[in-house]
Amino acid sequence: MRRAAPLLVVAALGLLPLALIEFPAWVTLTIAGLAMGMLVFLVAAGLTLIFGLMDVLNFAHGALFSWGAYVGAGVLLLLDRHWGWAQSPSVGLNALLLLLAIVAAALAALAIGVVLERVIVRPVYGRHLFQILITLGATIVLEELIRIAWGPNDQVVPVPLAFQGSWDLADVIVLRFPVVAIVLGLAVYLGMLAVLTRTRVGLIVRAGVENGEMVQAMGHDLHRYFTGVFAAGSALAALGGLMWAVFSQSVRPTMGAEQLIFAFVVVIIGGLGSVTGSLVGALLVGLSYNYVAFLLPKAAIGVTMALMVVVLLVRPTGLFGAGK
Amino acid sequence: MSGPAPATPVQAARDAARAHRLREPAPYLRLLLVMAFLLVPVALPSFQATDLALKIALFATLAASYDVLLGYTGIVSFGHAMFFGFGAYAVALALGKLGAPTYGHLLLGFAAGIGVSAAVALAVGAFSLRVKALFFAMITLAFAEFALILAVQWSQLTGGEDGLSPKLPGVLAAGSGAGRVLGVAVTGRLLTYYLVLAVCLGLWVLMRRFVESPLGRTLQAIRDNELRAEALGLRTFVFQMAATTFGSVVATVLGGCYALWVGYVNPESVLGIPIMLDVLLMVVIGGIGTLDGGIVGAAVLLTARTLLPDLRVVGALLGGSEILQRLTERWLLYFGILFILVVFFFPKGILGTLRETLRRRRAPGV
Repeated sequence: MRRAAPLLVVAALGLLPLALIEFPAWVTLTIAGLAMGMLVFLVAAGLTLIFGLMDVLNFAHGALFSWGAYVGAGVLLLLDRHWGWAQSPSVGLNALLLLLAIVAAALAALAIGVVLERVIVRPVYGRHLFQILITLGATIVLEELIRIAWGPNDQVVPVPLAFQGSWDLADVIVLRFPVVAIVLGLAVYLGMLAVLTRTRVGLIVRAGVENGEMVQAMGHDLHRYFTGVFAAGSALAALGGLMWAVFSQSVRPTMGAEQLIFAFVVVIIGGLGSVTGSLVGALLVGLSYNYVAFLLPKAAIGVTMALMVVVLLVRPTGLFGAGK
Repeated sequence: MSGPAPATPVQAARDAARAHRLREPAPYLRLLLVMAFLLVPVALPSFQATDLALKIALFATLAASYDVLLGYTGIVSFGHAMFFGFGAYAVALALGKLGAPTYGHLLLGFAAGIGVSAAVALAVGAFSLRVKALFFAMITLAFAEFALILAVQWSQLTGGEDGLSPKLPGVLAAGSGAGRVLGVAVTGRLLTYYLVLAVCLGLWVLMRRFVESPLGRTLQAIRDNELRAEALGLRTFVFQMAATTFGSVVATVLGGCYALWVGYVNPESVLGIPIMLDVLLMVVIGGIGTLDGGIVGAAVLLTARTLLPDLRVVGALLGGSEILQRLTERWLLYFGILFILVVFFFPKGILGTLRETLRRRRAPGV
């Protein structure tokens, strides 16, 4: 019951607006909210693990999101221009295209993540101020490199045909791509949970979040695990970036910095170090943002902030925070 | 040295500093700098030169106020530009929306800005500093983004993306001319220059006093070892709140001055994340925890920004390649790399490293 409580809260929050919004619009909004939540979750999950494990607040996470978006969009554009895969009516080819873009984005971010961790973050372990400064410097450089490689302006991203449009069930409109995003997000969450709770590596990572010094005293090289977590978190951010690029059908250099703010809010709401907390926080943010954007467009960003403030007032360490 | 023993360690440190104050180069350099700022509009009456000089003074003071947080308190805030923006908007609104601008409106604008900023800084601090100083970075970033979006969307009040162009009251107004003094035309613009410069100087003295006061020393102790400070019975949370509120209020006053000088306020120019990054770059490049480093940082960054667009000419000479051309245009890239290198190899920045080298040379073998 205790474990189900947060999910019940999310469900209740999702049902509440039904009193104000007609059913078909509510379904559309809920799916959009869940999709947005899942995409933010992809960013926040990496952030929260990186912080929980090594006490590193990684401001470059947003830049990795942008890099994932640009690399993935580059693959989409390239394959579409040469072979027209995105316009192809074959669902299989469309799915393969998206998969290739995801793999490319994740690989690029893995590489950047390993380099960042080894070169930039490792020398400043334990010094919060310098970590923030150095990862911020990395953000500036990574963002400028995007502007140099792809130009400073927004670019249009082609959406594979199979993921365009919507399914119309009676008078309810269900957009296709958000459903894909929700499925993918859930898969990532379940995958992460499986790795964290069912494998030896996950055990050590969880123990490291709980008490890093003890894990090291037991003879495990936490730094090596940390490089892995940092790279994996980077890949997740890149995955989120690519999905966001297809979702909004455009990429721009500052997109990561903008999403990072949402991710921070989510991490604060969920509690630093908790993956489930990130999921719940992300869904809360995504749903409330979409409902309020529909009812009172101008108050949408305000409700996100209000949510954060309320959670901080009630539980200063976040919903699932260990309070360390 | 004779005389009664000083009452407190702070007093002792102050006495020691005062004893050989005039043998240090710092006071003379400061005096020289102030003279230079005073002379710029007379000696170089071009618009670009005075504009650059005053912006250096403004942003140097802003960077110093950020250094009070970053260098002396050890807190990373991303809301500093937000407080700067509060000041700019408060002054612009008071001058623009209350009928013909008067000095009373000007003061009202500053007072309102300071009030709002102090309240917001206290609230943000209360939410975040109690838990973990790291939260402060994230929460101020979220609040700053919120303020930016608010300024864009609340367009009846703030003018949205178009912003506000306040007119200045009395002799400060752009059109006012009060004749010539010693062959220099005294215009509203010139008077605004000196007014803003005087405010900057005043704030500078205030900040010096602040960081060298017992309160400032306590903050440095908390920065260096929070656990120990807590064990000594200091309520670290209260001291950190005091520092963030002080720094935010200084930033607010500077924002108001910026609105006076530039005569134009829009979300991007006073509230945006780019302003925040600029200030951070200035502090880190100039020297964290030196206060005066802000001048070096602001001078380097703003001068570079004024001159570097000319690099595009070089880029054009390199011809066809688009990437090469962009490499010359994206000067922020080089500042980013410089920033990382400075943080790694000269964590004390330009001024801090210089000072340390001088000190070491003067006291060999210590």
